[in-house]
Amino acid sequence: MNAGLDGPQAGWQWLSPRSLIVRPVTDLIRLLPVLVGLLFFGSSRGSGSYWGFGFAAVAVVTSIVRWCTTRYRITGERIYLRRGLLNQKVLSVPRDRIRSVDLSAHVVYRVLGLRKVMVGTGRNDRREGESLHLDALRLPDAEALRAMLLVGPAGPSVAGAAGAAGIPGAVAPAEQELARLSPAWVRFAPLTLTGLVIVGVVIGSGTQLIDATHIDLTSIGPVHRLVLRFGTLAPGQQVLDGALVLLACLVLLSVAGYVALFWNFRLVSPGSGVLRVSRGLLSTRTTTIDTRRLRGAELSEPLLLRAAGGARCLAITTGLRVGRGAEHGGSLLLPPAPRAVASGVAATVLGVPVEYLTGDLVRHGAAARGRRYFRAVGTVLVLVAVLVAAWSTGHAPAWPWESSLVLVPLAAALAADRYQSLGHRLSGGWLITRTGSLVRRRSVLSTDGIIGWRIHQSWFQRRQGLVSLAATTAAGRQHYVAHDVPAAVALAVAAAATSDLMTPFLRS
Amino acid sequence: MLPGLRDPSNRVSRRAVGYWTARAAADGLCLLAAEIAVAVGTGFGLGWWIALALTVAAVAAYALIMPRWRYRVHRWEVTGEAVYTRTGWISVHWRIAPISRIQTIDSHRWFGERLFGLANVTATTASAAGPVHIRGLDRGTADRLLDQLTAATGQVPGDAT
Repeated sequence: MNAGLDGPQAGWQWLSPRSLIVRPVTDLIRLLPVLVGLLFFGSSRGSGSYWGFGFAAVAVVTSIVRWCTTRYRITGERIYLRRGLLNQKVLSVPRDRIRSVDLSAHVVYRVLGLRKVMVGTGRNDRREGESLHLDALRLPDAEALRAMLLVGPAGPSVAGAAGAAGIPGAVAPAEQELARLSPAWVRFAPLTLTGLVIVGVVIGSGTQLIDATHIDLTSIGPVHRLVLRFGTLAPGQQVLDGALVLLACLVLLSVAGYVALFWNFRLVSPGSGVLRVSRGLLSTRTTTIDTRRLRGAELSEPLLLRAAGGARCLAITTGLRVGRGAEHGGSLLLPPAPRAVASGVAATVLGVPVEYLTGDLVRHGAAARGRRYFRAVGTVLVLVAVLVAAWSTGHAPAWPWESSLVLVPLAAALAADRYQSLGHRLSGGWLITRTGSLVRRRSVLSTDGIIGWRIHQSWFQRRQGLVSLAATTAAGRQHYVAHDVPAAVALAVAAAATSDLMTPFLRS
Repeated sequence: MLPGLRDPSNRVSRRAVGYWTARAAADGLCLLAAEIAVAVGTGFGLGWWIALALTVAAVAAYALIMPRWRYRVHRWEVTGEAVYTRTGWISVHWRIAPISRIQTIDSHRWFGERLFGLANVTATTASAAGPVHIRGLDRGTADRLLDQLTAATGQVPGDAT
């Protein structure tokens, strides 16, 4: 089992012994409701709680075994991670492949002064067991490790990879703050889907708590009276009140979520070639990105956020795929904030004129507009036709198709907005594309980061002389598409962006 | 196909037409078998006879037209710098990937393809959206291509991102 790595000079290091305490403490907190239930209500209905203790005990033993069997080592060229009791495994990654270092900590970690370290290497970060994470190190050790991995001697540089040339302008001589959370930005919190997600989580853990403690909510006085009062209301009033309560909960929880996730948010450039995003009120997370891996940035504007003049900014980085949820898998450069701030941050980080993020784009023309309407309105008309057919054959009442007519103007508005969003541009070695209505995304991608093209033409597109042009890249969403571009324009853009690649295949 | 973009220089193997026809026929037969099973279960009314006749016609048309159309669309080319393919039939896809950014080359031989003496070659780049598939090659061409691409990609240093 890789005995060659076990030399006396090997310098294998252990995780912090304090990380042994993390698991029992977290489990204790998680079992608190059960304990409370047992102590104060003395109930032992069901065996769920005993299962809980059993699992906790197993988890504690596992964490001890894991701590005893995990060690890491850093040499001039590579970082090694060894773990496993029965199936011992050694992960090793060349240091020049490291794209990002992520330090995260929930409350227990913070109290113990620990940080979880996640090293992003691009390849197998998704696969469980293949990711390089150290759970956990003491804060100074974690920071020293991060500094060594990303700022220190980076080992042999990546020759040949064109993107390794880096992004000029992102280099700063000393620590420089690029953005900091302003409390006023909290107003954008209810305008993203994050609130809904948090409501789901709260309801989920709430029912779990009630289940564990065996509390009968309706036996609590005020709740009981509220339920009785609600029952006496008229049905219309019930719906209205219910909707209002839900809306209030959404707003409150999304604001709470925004504060919890993004409080103390800072985007700094702590030295040459590195960006650091830190955020979090109770649980903290600090992501450090190697700017040599930065291939661009994306402004994302969900409809409501856009209406309020806000935007999010994401990094397009190799090794950090754009994930789901409010944190977007660590690629978030700026939480929902005023659009001007978001464009400014993206421009500064990439070292491009802010005009690339705010300026006009090349429109895709009348045919592309026609397709937006055809697809949006056409779909709705098919639905209306089906409902009319069902009504005329006596299978359904008239109100479904009558009310479905409301969708027609909505679809037309959607199509108009989708066309307004559509655009592309190529300036100064950056490919800018914009698309979408419910979530409008404008991405600025370095042409050095483009590692291929996909051109797609459907039957309908062929009749209108349009194509969809996708630039593939190893970063971010993996491909960025300009939809429904006139064919000649698409080829010209592709040829201009990567002339060596496209020119041999063009018909002169 | 697209004015301004020239065709990739090579066609796929002529035997691919037979393979696509066989696959279309097999899919059609599965569909027919399912329809017959349901029809028998529900008493085999006149409606089912019409449905079956329509299905047979549609499957036959698909199995006759699709492979020939597809054969005219599918083309590929490997130059010193890039892999260039065109695939599809009703919808057409063009893919271009530079050799310098290719990370892995592999070749799958499915049972059906082996029956027809066919093979395919897949070139993967560092982008999850960027693999280039060349399907329906005859085995000799696929082997030569595999060697050629493996040699070409081995010469480029770096991690191809």
